[in-house]
Amino acid sequence: MSTATLDAPTQDDAVQSFTVTFIIRRFDPEVDDEPRWQDFDVEMFATDRVLDALHKIKWEQDGSLTFRRSCAHGICGSDAMRINGRNRLACKTLIKDLDISKPIYVEAIKGLPLEKDLVVDMEPFFESYREVQPFLIARSEPGAGKERVQSVADRARFDDTTKCILCAACTSSCPVFWTDGQYFGPAAIVNAHRFIFDSRDDAAKVRLDILNDKEGVWRCRTTFNCTEACPRGIQITQAIAEVKQAVMRGKP
Amino acid sequence: MSHPAERRLSTSVLIIGSGGSGLRAAIELADRGVDVTVLGKRPRGDAHTSLAAGGINAALGTMDPQDSWQQHAADTLRESYLLADPRTVEIVTRGAAQGIADLEQLGMPFARESDGRISQRFFGAHSYRRTAFSGDYTGLSIQRTLVDAAEQRGVRILDDVYVTRLLTSDGAVFGAYGFVQQDGTRVLIHADAVILAAGGHNRIWRRTSSRRNENTGDAFRLAVLAGGRIRDAELVQFHPSGIIEPETDAGTLVSEAARGEGGVLRNARGERFMERYDPVRMELSTRDRVALAAYTEIAEGRGTERGGVWLDVSHLPREVIMERLPRVYQTLLELQMRDITREPIEIAPTAHYSMGGVWVRPEDHGTGVDGLYAIGEAASGLHGANRLGGNSLIELLVYGRIVAASAAEYSAALTAQPRSRAAEDEARAEVDGLLAADGPVNVRVLQRALRELMTRYAGVVRSEEGLLAGLAELDRIEGQLDDIGVHPDIAAYQDLAHAFDLLSSILAARATLQSALERRETRGCHNRSDYPEQDPALRVNLVWSADGGVVREEIPPIPEEIAALMSEVSVDGKLVE
Repeated sequence: MSTATLDAPTQDDAVQSFTVTFIIRRFDPEVDDEPRWQDFDVEMFATDRVLDALHKIKWEQDGSLTFRRSCAHGICGSDAMRINGRNRLACKTLIKDLDISKPIYVEAIKGLPLEKDLVVDMEPFFESYREVQPFLIARSEPGAGKERVQSVADRARFDDTTKCILCAACTSSCPVFWTDGQYFGPAAIVNAHRFIFDSRDDAAKVRLDILNDKEGVWRCRTTFNCTEACPRGIQITQAIAEVKQAVMRGKP
Repeated sequence: MSHPAERRLSTSVLIIGSGGSGLRAAIELADRGVDVTVLGKRPRGDAHTSLAAGGINAALGTMDPQDSWQQHAADTLRESYLLADPRTVEIVTRGAAQGIADLEQLGMPFARESDGRISQRFFGAHSYRRTAFSGDYTGLSIQRTLVDAAEQRGVRILDDVYVTRLLTSDGAVFGAYGFVQQDGTRVLIHADAVILAAGGHNRIWRRTSSRRNENTGDAFRLAVLAGGRIRDAELVQFHPSGIIEPETDAGTLVSEAARGEGGVLRNARGERFMERYDPVRMELSTRDRVALAAYTEIAEGRGTERGGVWLDVSHLPREVIMERLPRVYQTLLELQMRDITREPIEIAPTAHYSMGGVWVRPEDHGTGVDGLYAIGEAASGLHGANRLGGNSLIELLVYGRIVAASAAEYSAALTAQPRSRAAEDEARAEVDGLLAADGPVNVRVLQRALRELMTRYAGVVRSEEGLLAGLAELDRIEGQLDDIGVHPDIAAYQDLAHAFDLLSSILAARATLQSALERRETRGCHNRSDYPEQDPALRVNLVWSADGGVVREEIPPIPEEIAALMSEVSVDGKLVE
């Protein structure tokens, strides 16, 4: 077999497929009073993602299955959902990393109004996000055509929180957010952190005042659900703790 | 709850496309107090700009004081194989520092040097360090910064709107027509001026670094039906290294950094083939040369069974890979379960960037249709026959400002605007017609056939025979349009969007094939096996019109101060056939 490369393609790289059962929480507001669970058997490869399974179901079994997706590679943040009870991005969750000897449960993220199947109304989430003024507010003028300087250490200070993709996996994994949805939630605080700790920004006090509200940072109970849920690996609980300290002691 | 069948909006300046160029223009308009509306077919956070990894160029001269905008211009013109428009190049390179400063002002988290300067690094074929960056997710940071800044200014951005037609009356644009992809609601927008920022046409090749519904030639079709023309459609940059598997992700890029860090290219026989094409620079040769080399190896039977070559970084220390190529490592692990610290990567050239595009004036990017402007990858003039990495991102920032100013002035100067019911009815009827199409032919099957034909006949190497065969095949595909079926399901109108993507792709493919036929020479990205030499007489731009005619357009002379800084364009190792 030393000449294998010249032979017809050997079949040992014909990849094995598996039948995987997905149990999906369906809801159609036009018909259903309550969400219901529905089974689908799908032929999958180990390297497929959960998003591939949803596509296969939609294209081959039930065209009415509704979910959001866009980039399919973990950047756009549109396909966060609850997979086997954990918030994850469907496009980043590989079949091989799930236990397929049992059915895989897929449902919409919690704590936001359910619209249809796996789609929730993201507006309350973005409302909180917008409230923290997630944009640079700088009064310094470096002179026409010139840049402002920023030390490497100052740039590193907020690097982790620039990675947020606003998928809501963190906020919708937070038990405090589930209770009444009034809490700003981890994602809004992460995005406030990104600007509070940017040395070029001059509006930290405004944002810290906003987050010192009774629905602000103090409602965080450091359960670390958000940090575990973040598909970008942001140390969210730590970022929230840093914002809490800044509220008490001012921006460092 | 019932939806109105058609929403009617009105705005001063309408921008089609919510990527970097569209948003930069929108921010400038908002800062000038002009009412602006942005439409995007994808979610704003996920426009194609977000995929750019490497960096953005400007001769700031803070890292290398000898650098100047003139040198940046000279490098750009030299690497364009003299097909870039010197006026466009001058405007971009002169304005680049301001573009970076603007972006910095808007909050862009640039990587920094120890004293706080914006850090800049070397990119291929630049004389000095002039590429600013933010990790290996520069494009994503730019897009995020621009989205935040646009929202801060209250810019109206409507996601998920697919634009099917520009509306014109007497040679002037007065709006656009389209539909919401989620529920099919029609959208009619009246606008004083329209800025087309809807990307290029590289998704019409089989392997491409664009995703399913990106860069399908939408901007080409919209502009041409409104009376615009296409310049240099045949000049498409092929990136040497796109992955081959899985099929759904074919064409996803393996960053040039993999070669930059010491990656080695081998054919299926294990030969380090760059020795035969560019023995001096080897794997570090320019994109067009490496792509051609890989293509030639595969075409001549020295490729892998799946039609690729091997890119190997496994000899590099593991720490180097983890530190310098984290995204490549992660991508291959996720998509192929492949550990690149142990195994080589199977790659093939992939369509990457439309260097040509809608014909525009250099000074304001007007298209020749009154009130219609084009910008970004949709436009043309900066890149010629080979694009320098990092130049397209700076183009967005420089021209975003300029085009916004022109559109604002045009809008302010209007005393009256004729509209046309006929144009609106035609746009409506076109959508109605496609929705009523109930034939047996699947739109996506035709789209796939079109991409196959472009790859076969208009890929890295072209010939008259192949291009004519391609045009005949394209006629067959177009002939089947009468038999297509469009069936939006209750979840969304994706099928309708795909049908329009197909119409755009057909037009873009025709422009590309016909222009490629006329360019009877080998220059930069465009290789003709039947004309293997560069032809000085073809140092012109080729301008394509809807009637299929291709005319030559003279390129103005390069200013003396820039020409003096240009070193010789080497054609060594260009075509070894």
